[in-house]
Amino acid sequence: MSSQIQTIHKQLINQDITCTALIQQRLDLLKQNTHNTVNALLDKTALELAAKVDLKIAKGETIGLLEGIPFGIKDVYMLQGTYTTASSDLLKKYKSAYTATAIQKLLDAGAIPLVKENGDSFGHGSSSENTIFGAVKNAHNPNLVSGGSSGGSAVNVAKDYTVFSIGGDTGGSVRQPAGYNNVYGLKPTYGRISRFGLMAYASSTDCVGPIAKSIEDIRIVLNAISGKDIKDQTTYASHEIPQDSISNSTQIKTIGYFKNFIENDAIDAKVKSDFLETIEKIKAKGITVKALDFFESETLVSTYYTLAMAETASNLSRLDGTNYGNRIEGDNLKETYSVTRSENFSEESKRRIVGGNQVLSQGFSDAIYLKGLALRDAISKNFENDFKAVDIIISPVTPNVPPKIGDSLKNPHAMYLSDAYTVGFSLGQLPTLTIPQGTTTGLQITAAKNNETLVLKFANFLKDTL
Amino acid sequence: MSKIMTVDVLSSIKDAQPSEAVNKLFEVIKKANTNNNLNNASHNNALFLDDLRADTVINSSALEKQIIIENFPKSKNGYLVVSKVIEE
Repeated sequence: MSSQIQTIHKQLINQDITCTALIQQRLDLLKQNTHNTVNALLDKTALELAAKVDLKIAKGETIGLLEGIPFGIKDVYMLQGTYTTASSDLLKKYKSAYTATAIQKLLDAGAIPLVKENGDSFGHGSSSENTIFGAVKNAHNPNLVSGGSSGGSAVNVAKDYTVFSIGGDTGGSVRQPAGYNNVYGLKPTYGRISRFGLMAYASSTDCVGPIAKSIEDIRIVLNAISGKDIKDQTTYASHEIPQDSISNSTQIKTIGYFKNFIENDAIDAKVKSDFLETIEKIKAKGITVKALDFFESETLVSTYYTLAMAETASNLSRLDGTNYGNRIEGDNLKETYSVTRSENFSEESKRRIVGGNQVLSQGFSDAIYLKGLALRDAISKNFENDFKAVDIIISPVTPNVPPKIGDSLKNPHAMYLSDAYTVGFSLGQLPTLTIPQGTTTGLQITAAKNNETLVLKFANFLKDTL
Repeated sequence: MSKIMTVDVLSSIKDAQPSEAVNKLFEVIKKANTNNNLNNASHNNALFLDDLRADTVINSSALEKQIIIENFPKSKNGYLVVSKVIEE
C-alpha cells in the first residue's frame, strides 16, 4: 500500500536521510514556490523539532510513525505563538494563544508543522482568491484557481511541499481543492475530529479534514486526529481504522449515484462522460449500481448557503477589533465596530455576513432560515433511506473544471453553484473522500455516518479498478 | 427594540447592502417544497451530564496571557485601551 509517511519513516529509521535535511528541503521548496500557498513559514520551530528527532534516532531510540513527518496547516487553525490570520486583513497580526486539538494531537505524535497555508479568508470561497496573500495558483496549471477554501493546503500536498496538510471543510473546502489538484482529501463524519481551535465558519458543518497523496496517509492521519474532545461537545468516540480493514472491499455489493447530478445541462461534457465510464468499469467488477433520486442542485446550494451564512454572521460577529484584530478607531464604539469590519472583511465575507443577518431577521427567518433547516432535515432523511439501499454513493466532485484565476470573483453566484456536488454531503454530515480518479476533477466516495472504513475500502478498490 | 434595523446596522458593516447573488439563493429556498414539515423535525442534540466540562475556572498559562495581551489592538501607559463607549 503506497504511503509517503511509511516511506519517509523507513528512510528516517534506516538513517538514509536526516530529519533536519528533510525539513530543510521542504522549507526551501515552500520558500521558493510561486503558487501563493504560504501565509507564514514555521522554519525556526520546524528545524528545532527536526534536530530533536535526529537526536532520538542517533541515540537508537524508537520513533513513532508520524515523528518527523512534515505537514501543513490551513491558516484557520490555532497553533500557539504563530500568526493565525484566516487569510484576512482583520487578523493579519493575530497570534494564536492556544493550539487546536487536532493540531496538538499531531504535535504529540511528533509530526512537524512547516507552514500556515493560504486559502479563502475565513473559508469564504471556492477558489482561494478571497485572500490578502494573493490567489493560490493550481498545482498543475498556474493560470487556474487552486479551488478552495483549502487551496494552499491542496497545492502544497500536490507539489510535495508537505507530506500531508490539514484543511477545513464546511461545504466542500477540502474535497473540491483536492479534486482540482488531483490529491486525496477527506471530509470526515461531522464530530469525528474536534473543531476546538478551528476558526468557526459554519459550526454545524465545519469539519477538520486531512489532504494527502495516498489513501494510506489519509488513514494514518485520520486515526491520529480523531476522537472525543471535551472542548468540542459535538465530538464522539471513534475506533481506530486498522490498515488491513481497508484492503478488501468484498462487502461492498451495491453502490449508487445521483442521476440528477449527471443528467443536467450544468455538468461539463467530459466530466459527465468520464463519470459514466467509471460507472461501467465498476459494474464490470460485479457491483450493482443504482441511479438514485436526489434534491435539485440549486436547492442543495441554496440550503447550504442559507444556513452557512446565518452561522457565519453569528460566528464572525465577535470580530470587531475590541480585544484583538486590526481595530480602526471611529468616533465611538459603534462606529469603531462598523469601520473596523467594513475595512477589514473581504467583499465575499461581507456578502455572507449580510446574507446571514438577512435570513435571521424577523420576517425572513420563517420563510428562509427555518425552511433551510427543514430542507436540511429532509436531505438527511433522504441519505438515511439511500444507505438502506446502497453501501456507497459516488459522485463527481465538481460539475466543471477549475476556472481561470479572476473568473470566480466576477460571478459569485456561479461560484456558489460550483459547490453543487459537495454541499449535500456536508448538510448530511457524512464521511466523503475525494480521490484523484474517475473524472478530471476526481470522484467523491460517500458512506453512512461514521463509516470512514467503508469509504477508504472503496477508494482502495477504485485505485485498483480505474 | 421596536425600530427597524437595517442589514448594515445588524452586520456592523458600514453601508452594507443585500447582494443580488445571495438573494438569488434565497429565492430558491422560498420556492422549495418542504412538505410543510417545518416544525416536525426531532433533534436529539442533548448531552450527557458526565460529558460536560467541569464548572471550574482554569487559569491560562503565562504564555497564553502574554499572547492575549499582545493581541490587544491598543495600549497606553501599560493599560489596554478600548473605544469610547456611548449610551443612547
